[in-house]
Amino acid sequence: MRARPYLLLLPALLALGLFAAAFLSFVTISFETATPGTILTHGPPTLANYRSVLASPLARSTALDTLRLAALMTVLTAVLGYPLAYVLARSTSRWKRRLVLFGLIVTFLSGGVTRAYAWLIILGNRGLINQMLAALGLPTFRLVHNETGVVIGVVHFLLPFFVLTLLAALKNIPLSLEECARNLGASRWRVFWHVVLPLSIPGLVSAASLSFAGALSAFLFPELLGGGRVHMASNVIFETILTDFNLPRVAAMAGLFLVLALVALGLLGALERRSARLWAGGAR
Amino acid sequence: MNALRSYSPQVALLAAAVMAFVLLPVAFITLYAFNDAGYLSLPPKGLTLRWFVNFFESARFRAALEASLIVAAVVTPASLLIAVPAALALVRCRFVGRDLVNSAIMSPLVVPGAVIGISFLSLSTRIGTGIGLGPIIAALACFAFPFAVRALVANLHGLDPRLEEAARNLGAPRWKAFAFVTLPQLRPGLLAGGIFVFVEAIDNFSIAVFLTNSRTTTLPVEAFSYIRDYDDPTVAAMAVLLMSFSIVLVFLIDRLVGLDRFLELK
Repeated sequence: MRARPYLLLLPALLALGLFAAAFLSFVTISFETATPGTILTHGPPTLANYRSVLASPLARSTALDTLRLAALMTVLTAVLGYPLAYVLARSTSRWKRRLVLFGLIVTFLSGGVTRAYAWLIILGNRGLINQMLAALGLPTFRLVHNETGVVIGVVHFLLPFFVLTLLAALKNIPLSLEECARNLGASRWRVFWHVVLPLSIPGLVSAASLSFAGALSAFLFPELLGGGRVHMASNVIFETILTDFNLPRVAAMAGLFLVLALVALGLLGALERRSARLWAGGAR
Repeated sequence: MNALRSYSPQVALLAAAVMAFVLLPVAFITLYAFNDAGYLSLPPKGLTLRWFVNFFESARFRAALEASLIVAAVVTPASLLIAVPAALALVRCRFVGRDLVNSAIMSPLVVPGAVIGISFLSLSTRIGTGIGLGPIIAALACFAFPFAVRALVANLHGLDPRLEEAARNLGAPRWKAFAFVTLPQLRPGLLAGGIFVFVEAIDNFSIAVFLTNSRTTTLPVEAFSYIRDYDDPTVAAMAVLLMSFSIVLVFLIDRLVGLDRFLELK
């Protein structure tokens, strides 16, 4: 009887063990030295990889760019996603709700490659938007192979996650609270600012930290839409391993990236718990 | 119009605009895939299935499609087989270290894909297996099974354990009570978790790209290198195939568990 939970957990623990083994080998390799001309590595343990990554200007600017872009993407996702989630939570029309949910889930399930490619064609120099601008006699813009394209692509990728997470929190806010405020003469804007927004903060924070985690680890979108000009952590790791197969150095980069991501997400997690305490009642 | 409606027409318009932004790529890529020109032409030139033929005639894409289907066919049932007992233990049993085990199981979800890719690349270099389908399957199963655990835990929390107890009291052995009472009630969680894992297995780029080589690639990695080498809508045809598949999935979800219920299990 006593062994039962552990027996049930055995397959999961084996999978976690494999994950831990992979993790351990990447951490140990990050302290080794590449054997030139092969994919092999050898000891003795050294901090040289970490030292050289920390000293590299590219690594430093990449860390800053990754954090800055992820923050920008999260804010834009929240600004665009909040009204959609709110209308979805409060709409009285059943078919409209179903249509929007349907569209969000199809987009959500249709995958990253599909969407990154679509944006590449839409935003390209001779893409949909620029051809339409040119046809109207307007100036054209460079929308891909720069940060604009990457930000548009990632925000689009994050929107379904954000909206569906926030929706769950917004649905938990009783409509009667808003109706009371309206009946007492508050304008819609006042109701939003003083009733809906404060109650939705825990849900907003958890939807935003989910988006931030997704934005931090963005890889395919910066790779395809950034055209080598936008350096986010995953891309720099990938390009480094493509150009010189120096696994220890790349492992050190990945290790530092992981620390950066975990610290950022840990801070957001603390914020999430704090906001749930301060604005209790919004989310469960 | 209800005067006390929660949102103003302006906000509704804004939401509609955001929804248009969400749907734009899906709608556009569909038109592009059927357009009879090797480049973007406005207005469209005429309908063709050329790019779909191209996709299926390409040996590289066929091999990648096959590899992705093998990966998904192994990873999806494997993840569910790992996740069902784990979710049962987490919800139904009280034991020492439960919270710790729970956070350990969810930990792969916070690790960026590229770091997981590098980890499994390091492991396969360490033990000398090299890269290929095996490591891809192992990495994706480790990464994706927590999604299934999460869906099944949410599902199990909503069930009444007394139903299973009643079956036990009436003399059913433990496995029978589970198979005939609890398992049928887990259908929404199995479907939701299975779909998440399946989509992740088919669509994953960030982990798989580190574990593929010129001989073994998966669909997203192949599409990525095709986009870099060629400039024609073959990848759009692939995208339309994947999207049609996800539309079928959404209909299936709606039929079997309902969209709202599905979202609760996300």
